[in-house]
Formats: sequence, structure tokens, C-alpha cells
Amino acid sequence: MRATVWSGRNTVQVENVPDPKILEERDAIVRISSTAICGSDLHLYDGYVPTMKRGDILGHEFMGEVVEVGRRVDNLKVGDRVVVPFPIACGDCWMCKHELWSLCENSNPNAGLAEKMFGHPTCGIFGYSHLTGGYAGGQAEYARVPFADVGPIKIEDDLDDEKVLFLSDIFPTGYMGAEFCDISGGESIAVFGAGPVGQFAIASAVLLGAEQVIAIDQYGYRLEMARNRAGATDVIDFSQDADIVEQLKVLTGGRGPDAVIDAVGLEAAHGHGALHAADRMKQASRSETDRGHALRDAILACRPGGIVSIIGVYGGLMDKFPTGALMNKGLTIRTGQCHVHRYLKPLYEHVREGRIDPSFVVTHRLGLDMAPDAYETFKHKQDECVKVVLKP
Amino acid sequence: MNRTAITVNRPRDEVQRLWLTPERRPEYIAESGATVTFSDAPGDRGTEIHVDLGDEGGRLAGTAKMLTGRGAPPLAKVKDDLRRFKQLVETGVISRSDAVPEGELAERKLKQRPAQPLEQDELEKAGVS
Repeated sequence: MRATVWSGRNTVQVENVPDPKILEERDAIVRISSTAICGSDLHLYDGYVPTMKRGDILGHEFMGEVVEVGRRVDNLKVGDRVVVPFPIACGDCWMCKHELWSLCENSNPNAGLAEKMFGHPTCGIFGYSHLTGGYAGGQAEYARVPFADVGPIKIEDDLDDEKVLFLSDIFPTGYMGAEFCDISGGESIAVFGAGPVGQFAIASAVLLGAEQVIAIDQYGYRLEMARNRAGATDVIDFSQDADIVEQLKVLTGGRGPDAVIDAVGLEAAHGHGALHAADRMKQASRSETDRGHALRDAILACRPGGIVSIIGVYGGLMDKFPTGALMNKGLTIRTGQCHVHRYLKPLYEHVREGRIDPSFVVTHRLGLDMAPDAYETFKHKQDECVKVVLKP
Repeated sequence: MNRTAITVNRPRDEVQRLWLTPERRPEYIAESGATVTFSDAPGDRGTEIHVDLGDEGGRLAGTAKMLTGRGAPPLAKVKDDLRRFKQLVETGVISRSDAVPEGELAERKLKQRPAQPLEQDELEKAGVS
């Protein structure tokens, strides 16, 4: 089959590789109809996530048709149309039983590696380094889906792929980020990053009843989408004015947002050139893996007693983490890889009922063979790129 | 540190019974001469399995490593065994990826395959299919 493989920093190629096979009784094989490039794939592309290996198939947002099932997969049959959640979860361990799917204790066959990095292993993830198991990803014609009796959701309406594809990751991830904020009506929420996950965090905060939702980014076209499509009430373009914290204070009458969502992660950009250069240099020399402008600003901007929701991906260590502000302002941090399985049914219902159409983020539709160009376009935000969907 | 522990989300009598069955019995631990104890985990979380390799790091492990001069450290092998036992008892299958087709394996830590599907002969070599 054809598959998008990582072949070193800033290089992906579409190559011929063997077709996946059923390896265990709870596996299924899916023929992929649509797959997407995630912002977090750029962290792999850019070489910031350790334990990548040349030849790794990328991609953790995908859907398609079931073409083969293992003996113990009794909820799916050949021909079913499914969306596959990016975390691989067994459904049987204590974590899964408590709906903490991305912390599954059994799905990462490189648990020993992960334990060294994080103290404990976390779940397996498709196409996302060997730290999360070394599973082949879904930017390919086919994928093997382990624990297929637990993860995939069947799509039984004739909704377009683009309306349901993002149930695999970015819609639930943005939604969980908003849910972390304990919105009960009337809150001010600031969302750092108006990429695809940020857009869904904004839309979800609106859906949950926030009164004011402020989008922060440095690209005008993304802020425009945040305001016109996702429902942001205010926007901050930090390419115009780098002092995000003061702007947030002014927009919230001096109080600061009740909750802040970091939808940026470890490759944050910053309006202050010198600070950015210092962090960038440390990353290059490997004395810091995570570049943290967004999270630092988020903590400084959050109102005392508020919530810091972190859904942007981090991988290692960060310097100058503002522990003083965090502690003295009595902030609550909530974070994690999304427990996608928890949100599949309720969010699918929102889509079916027409309360949200997740396809609004799609700006680019390309064939799988165009993946190398698509990564470049997405990385450099060329051609007003927000979200790329690839068709195998 | 020559001790390690894992919690299996099943009652103690079931865990102890499965530990002794031929299909589930963790071979490396059994042959290492390690001391194994079982206890109820707090808060209805199942059963804790504690393994103590003793000062020598387990007699068989130590000897094998001395004779061949290679192989993973005994504690890492014990952890492999415990994770596989937990997977089999809780899920009924071994978690296998393309990079680690055998399932959790200390020897694979530094010799990962790329994460792309294996050819049939590679699968057979890895003992899968």
C-alpha cells in the first residue's frame, strides 16, 4: 500500500510499504477514505518529539471502511464505516474503566520507554513516535486498528467524511479543553492558538455557554475564521501587539479570563523576538525541548483562582515555568491527551443534530501522494492553510 | 533496586490461579527464583503483584547474563513478564505494534523496527501469526 513515512527532520515521503495484517483477535483492518494532518504531526515533522525512526508511518486522524476483523471483534463487520480515535485503549484496565482512555495501561508495547520519560507509560497512539508504542499511522491506504472492539465509532448516516473525520482527534480535543474550564454560563475564556484544535476549543466554549471567548494568534486569516466560523467574540493578533497579557486584562475589565486554554503546545511563537530566540536556541541545543511562550502567558493572564487548560502537546521539559504565578494565584491546571472515546457519541450527536459542522476548518483537500507538499504548506502557513485532508 | 510491582485489575484469587496456569505463567520470573507475593490493592483496584529478585538479581538471570555477556537487565525482563501477564489477564491479547511486534520486550528498546507493517516472513520470525 501507499503510506506517508517520516524520513528525518522536515522530510516525509509517500512510499510503498507492506499491507497491514491482523495480529491479534481484537484487531481490525480499515481501508482509509479520509485522513488529516494534525498540528501535532508538525512536532514530529519538525523533529521535536524523540524516539522517531526513519520509515515510521505518520497519521492519527483517519476514518474509512472495515475490510477485515479479528475473531473477538463482534461489534464491527466488514463494510462498516468507522472513525478511529487516535488513542489506542483496551477498555479493560482501571484507567479505561474510569474513562481515562488516553492513559490506558495496556495499549503501549513500549511502556518501558515511556516509563523512563514520564515516570509511567501512557496509551498507544497511531503514528506518533515509539514513545507511544510505535504503531503505524493512518496517512496511508490501510491501517491496523488494535482493540477495534472498543475504539472505532460506526457512522451510519450519509454525512460527508469531513463532517465526522475530526471526531478522531481535534474536535474532542478542543471540546475537552473547553470542558476543563467548568463553563456554566457567563464566563470569559481565552484560547491561545487559533489552529484547528483552537478553533474547536472556541466553538466548544461557545456551545457550552461561555459569554466571552477570546482567540489569540498571529495569523489574521486564522483569527478571521475564529470570529466568523467558530464564534469567538474577541480576537488578539499578537503580531500587531506582543503584550498578550495586558490585552487580555483590558478585554476582561482588568479581571483576566476565568479560564485559559493552551491550544498551542511546544512550538509556540512569540511577539518578543529576543525571548523567542533564547527559547529557540535552547531547543536547538537540546537543553529545553518545550518552547513555552503560550503557556507562560496563559498562566500570567488567567484570573486568580481560575483554570489553566492545556491541550497543546508538550513532550519534555521547559525552562522558566511561572510556578510563582501558578501557586500564588491559586490556579488549577487541567491537561492530558484527549480521552477521545468519552466524547465520540455525544459529539457525533452534535454533528448529526446540526449544532456544529466540523468541516469549517478544512482549507486544503489533496491526494495522499501530495502529503510532502501538504506538510510544507501547513508548516509554513502558506496559502492560508488551517487544515489539510488527504484522500488515499 | 531489585524489586518491582504491578497492579492487575482482577480479584486476588483469580490472579493467583492464572499465575500458575501454563498459558499465563510468566516464564522468566518463574525461572529466576524471584520471590513473588500477591496482595489486595486498596480501593477495589484489583491485585498487586510484588516481585523481589533478591541481592543477586535472580540466580538464573545473573548466570545467563554472565555466560552470554548480553541480554537485558533482569529487572527489565521481569517488568516485561509482568506487563504481558497483566495484558493477557485484563484484555486477553498481547499489545503488539509494528515497531514491537513481539509485544513489550526489553531487548527491543534500543532496536526498534520502523512503525510500518511487517512482511509475512518477518511476522513469522517475530512469532506472530
